[in-house]
Amino acid sequence: MSAYIVYQDQLPGLFRLWAKIYKVHVPVQTAPGFYDFAPWEPGGEVAWDYDLTVNPLKRFLLPPREDLVVFDARDYTAKGVFEAPQQLLFGVHPYDLRAVAQLDQLMEHGSPDKNYRRRRDNTVIFAMEPLRIAPDAFWSTMGAGRADIGFDLYWTKIGPATFFVEVGTARGEELLLAGGEVERASAAHHEAARRTREATRRHADAHGLKFPWQELARVMAKAWDDSIWREKSSMCLACGSCNLVCPTCYCFDIREEMDETMTRGRRWRQWDACMLPSFALVAGGHNFRAKHLERYRHRYFRKGKYIFDMIGEPGCVGCGRCIKACTARIANPLTVFNRLWEEYA
Amino acid sequence: MTPGKDFTPYAPRPATLVRKVRLSDFVTLFEFEQDNGRPLAHKPGQFIQVSVYGVGEAPFSISSRPKAGTNSFEIAVRNIGSVTSALHALPVGAKVGIRGPFGSYFPVQEFVGKDTLFVAGGLGYIPLRSLLRYQLRHRDEFGRIMLLIGTRSPSERIFVDEIEKLSQRDDIEVMETVDCVGDSCWQGNVGVITTLLPKVRLDVENTYVAMVGPPVMYRFVIGACVGDQCISPERIYVSLERKMKCGLGKCGHCQINGVSACVSGPVFRYTDIEPLKEAL
Repeated sequence: MSAYIVYQDQLPGLFRLWAKIYKVHVPVQTAPGFYDFAPWEPGGEVAWDYDLTVNPLKRFLLPPREDLVVFDARDYTAKGVFEAPQQLLFGVHPYDLRAVAQLDQLMEHGSPDKNYRRRRDNTVIFAMEPLRIAPDAFWSTMGAGRADIGFDLYWTKIGPATFFVEVGTARGEELLLAGGEVERASAAHHEAARRTREATRRHADAHGLKFPWQELARVMAKAWDDSIWREKSSMCLACGSCNLVCPTCYCFDIREEMDETMTRGRRWRQWDACMLPSFALVAGGHNFRAKHLERYRHRYFRKGKYIFDMIGEPGCVGCGRCIKACTARIANPLTVFNRLWEEYA
Repeated sequence: MTPGKDFTPYAPRPATLVRKVRLSDFVTLFEFEQDNGRPLAHKPGQFIQVSVYGVGEAPFSISSRPKAGTNSFEIAVRNIGSVTSALHALPVGAKVGIRGPFGSYFPVQEFVGKDTLFVAGGLGYIPLRSLLRYQLRHRDEFGRIMLLIGTRSPSERIFVDEIEKLSQRDDIEVMETVDCVGDSCWQGNVGVITTLLPKVRLDVENTYVAMVGPPVMYRFVIGACVGDQCISPERIYVSLERKMKCGLGKCGHCQINGVSACVSGPVFRYTDIEPLKEAL
């Protein structure tokens, strides 16, 4: 794989070039200790050393609300809506990349989701090696510390103003070289990048799963009747925050609205959350997961078993966002997974 | 016809309401015709999504048998939510949007040459009717046809005339029961549907069961079928209701453990769902 060296002072020029084609989003500090992706602005600060953004990337690929169909109620015709802006996400950490790679597979599975596919095709992802690790993060032990696919370029900061940039796709390389020549990485640069990543990995591995993630589905299979579900869910507020911030939660509801003429309207999908009481409620009042316990357990089984069985990896990448978002302090997958391991290994 | 570049499975196609038949205080049969003139091309047990624009979309089992050469099909709907009450308010000639058919179906070919025991609890006759009418249409291909119907009360019975006609035929055995008589003049069986099972003599080696009913019914009937009558669980088929939204296995609402009921179901072979804790 070819690699280049980019210096900090080349970046403003490159960003300006990219912003001509793409809506560019970069990690920024939104409040002390809080980060998120925001539109890049000339002269704006990029939070190179962010540990975790509040929101995951799914909103760029599966927006909180996305039109699917416009219809005309006079003749009952309907037409598909496909919005797919050209966007470039800069500074994506590997665990988020892994989550996107999962969404890619899950949305393609069975009946391929054209709306997702088109957005994804128009999205350039420039990944970035994390410089800091969030206190709750355990992605390294979930196998999400390194991504080999799903990025167009992979940036590793190897000096105060020096970036080692690995090429993932031809599109990525073209964008990197769009402003003129860029220095080829030397063997010493490769070595520096390797050392940087090793340091990150060492640090990241210090906290996390106490067992190989490959064992997770096997452990979960034994845990249906475990007392942990009652224990944790008895404090659950059923707010859905864990679903909201999860980079791999993709369940959605379908809604519609007429315009002011009451003849035309649109139908859209919007994020839904399996922790909300109405998620499995059908007309007539029967609720297939009426209890907090059932919904809490279902979410864990999706992450630890159902998705695992489908794609061969857990539906949790260990970002730790749910841990931070949960006001009842019960959403920590690490506590749950580690305890189940101790009980059922 | 290959779908165009901008084809989306989310876009309903128009159909026109051609007939409405009141089946009970709350249940109505709706016959629609696809505006594109083509048959729905469903298989018994499948469902469609029906839209009333401005209100929303809801899933319904297709109640008519597959019919080549006609663009018409039937659903039977209980007036219970926003979409169903909007449907009930539609006049003949009104349009709706439809998507589908979706999901799995009764493996009709497997039933050929065998006896079929239909067990319909509550509104379960609606989806079973598609398979039943198919079998009656191709009567020679199938063995005995037995139909057990259980309803909460006489006033909630649906397809009353149709079932009356069926019970007069000599090529189908029909038995009906109600949970409680109330103040009606019901003269038939009283008791839950499992009380009918001992009254049917089954060739257990040669019988398939097709069963649809409320969640509570399945456990009891399957217990009785498998336990007392020794029907192999491999030959028991059920249809499970869940909140199907997208119909494409994506939105997550209809999941039964790791299985999407809208794609792998609604019709399941009992042995396939037996290990699923959330199924029955």
